Amino acid sequence: MSGDDRVVVGAIAGAFGVRGEVRLKSFCAEAEAIADYAPLTTQDGGRSFDVTLTGNAANGLTARLSGIDTKEQADALKGVQLYAPRDRLPSLPDDEFYHADLIGLEVMDTGGQSLGHVRAVMNHGATDLLEVHAPGRRATVLLPFTLEAVPTVDLAAGRLVADPPEGLFDDE
Amino acid sequence: MARAVWKGPFVDSYVLKKAEKSRESGRNEVIKIWSRRSTILPQFVGLTFGVYNGHKHIPVNVSEEMIGQKFGEYAPSRTYTGHAADKKAKRK
Repeated sequence: MSGDDRVVVGAIAGAFGVRGEVRLKSFCAEAEAIADYAPLTTQDGGRSFDVTLTGNAANGLTARLSGIDTKEQADALKGVQLYAPRDRLPSLPDDEFYHADLIGLEVMDTGGQSLGHVRAVMNHGATDLLEVHAPGRRATVLLPFTLEAVPTVDLAAGRLVADPPEGLFDDE
Repeated sequence: MARAVWKGPFVDSYVLKKAEKSRESGRNEVIKIWSRRSTILPQFVGLTFGVYNGHKHIPVNVSEEMIGQKFGEYAPSRTYTGHAADKKAKRK
């Protein structure tokens, strides 16, 4: 998540056709959900767009953005990332968290010692895994995101308490 | 061609031994294995295996719905995390 409480939800891949439509890459879990978070802003916050999805294209969606009427305007936006305010994401039940909220949290052990920071959240089909980057370690450590291994998540304090299985943080 | 039923599921013997030892000890530990080809058996449910993906050991908490799959399916050797956006993680 960026420092100003916005999350990047997509990017413009270029123009689609000659009538000012754009190809949109959605980073959302459900690709079409990107339109629900509109208006979307650019990284510097200088421009804001309403999004109307118009269809599917190779590797993404096609959309019409407010204020973009020509192919030249659409081409000029190629590569621009689109941001949505964090508070526009719907609230979640207990024990469910947005990746954007977990990334950056400090990981403490049960003794209060810092183990590192969450760098990414991944899922390979089993439980979700937190990729923890510990200072002074070459490789990152994958911590299972389970009630046993992560008993406490305190988003307000910016930290989570981990009780990792033996051997997880021992080897380099 | 599918594996003959009379042979039973394939599991490397050292995986069985390590799992049995870990279950007897009752310790909460990651069982490091290199055998991605081994089948997940019912007696592995509840254990955490560290499945090697050619680079590091990926923690895999075995649950009931994973029985019959291979360990390697849960430790991809090529990963891409992508953007967080509105993706969710559930603590189980």
